[in-house]
Amino acid sequence: MANIAAKRIKREFKEVMKSEEVAGGAIKLELINDSWTELQGEIAGPSDTPYEGGTFILEIKVPETYPFNPPKIRFVTKIWHPNVSSVTGAICLDILKDQWAAALTLRTVLLSLQALLSAAEPNDPQDAVVAKQYKENPQLFHMTARHWTNVYAGGPASIVEFNQKVQRLLDMGVDEHDARVALSTYDWELERATEQLFS
Amino acid sequence: MTDYFQEMGWRELEDGEQPNHLLHMARFLIDFGMYDDNFTGEWPRLPPPASKESVKNLKEVKIEDENQNCPICLKKFNINDTAKVMPCQHLFHEKCILTWLNQTNSCPFCRHELPTDDEAYEAFKKEKKRSEQRKEDIEALHNSMFS
Ligand SMILES: [Zn+2]
Ligand SMILES: [Zn+2]
Repeated sequence: MANIAAKRIKREFKEVMKSEEVAGGAIKLELINDSWTELQGEIAGPSDTPYEGGTFILEIKVPETYPFNPPKIRFVTKIWHPNVSSVTGAICLDILKDQWAAALTLRTVLLSLQALLSAAEPNDPQDAVVAKQYKENPQLFHMTARHWTNVYAGGPASIVEFNQKVQRLLDMGVDEHDARVALSTYDWELERATEQLFS
Repeated sequence: MTDYFQEMGWRELEDGEQPNHLLHMARFLIDFGMYDDNFTGEWPRLPPPASKESVKNLKEVKIEDENQNCPICLKKFNINDTAKVMPCQHLFHEKCILTWLNQTNSCPFCRHELPTDDEAYEAFKKEKKRSEQRKEDIEALHNSMFS
């Protein structure tokens, strides 16, 4: 790895550890390997959002050309959000693409991701299905996102009706995550989700 | 119906009053976004490098305050180091900022833009400015007729 990338990550790491956001538990950063090329980030779901109470893990890969190119980041924790793929965790955020600037840091990026959880940008979606639900059925979107936060990120709100529907599909031998994706995609209509899974 | 007119800031014409066609046209242009010629206003990728000329003309300063970082490598400057100054007054190591400007034309700290040698991008910037100006003109026109 180019010298500047590793050196800068080391400096950033120190800065993050001293930051008030880490002290307050809003973000976390951990080293995954000794060559400073892989890190794990963590953000707390912002309050007054369906992600509240959840903890979201991020995979961070630092390219050799960092900070002249952005870090590669995706959600490891599954999340129902218009700008994150519900399948791969890939993120659509301008500063991780053509709006990257070399003075941005892992700290500012983690805070931007946290802000993205508070304010989605459905007109620039990563996941078209989620974005459509967000726009056309905001209430159901909210409940679905809370349900995912509960199941995958340790959020507090268990939604009984959704759990029961997932269980119905599990009883039919469907994989749990597949069942949840199908139900979420078809607005929790069991018949349509079943049809799609068995077609 | 009356409420709708009031809400829109409209009123019914008095007896013998003629409609103000210019005002309607200005409203139409604003409401339907016609003023921008369908100009989307987004450059679809990282803007091109800063022009050779503008990079060559960047000023240098001697660092006097030792508590300042270069925003690219995050290393503290040493006193008496020379740093490059962007027009926005942000300071960088020469090697750091030249590598960045060789890739794209804006300050990595505040996004202040330098000129580029890319004709397409310069044309885009001009068009964007023109469209913003046009929007302001139409709003000014609307406001002057409306008040
Ligand atoms: Zn530097
Ligand atoms: Zn600047």
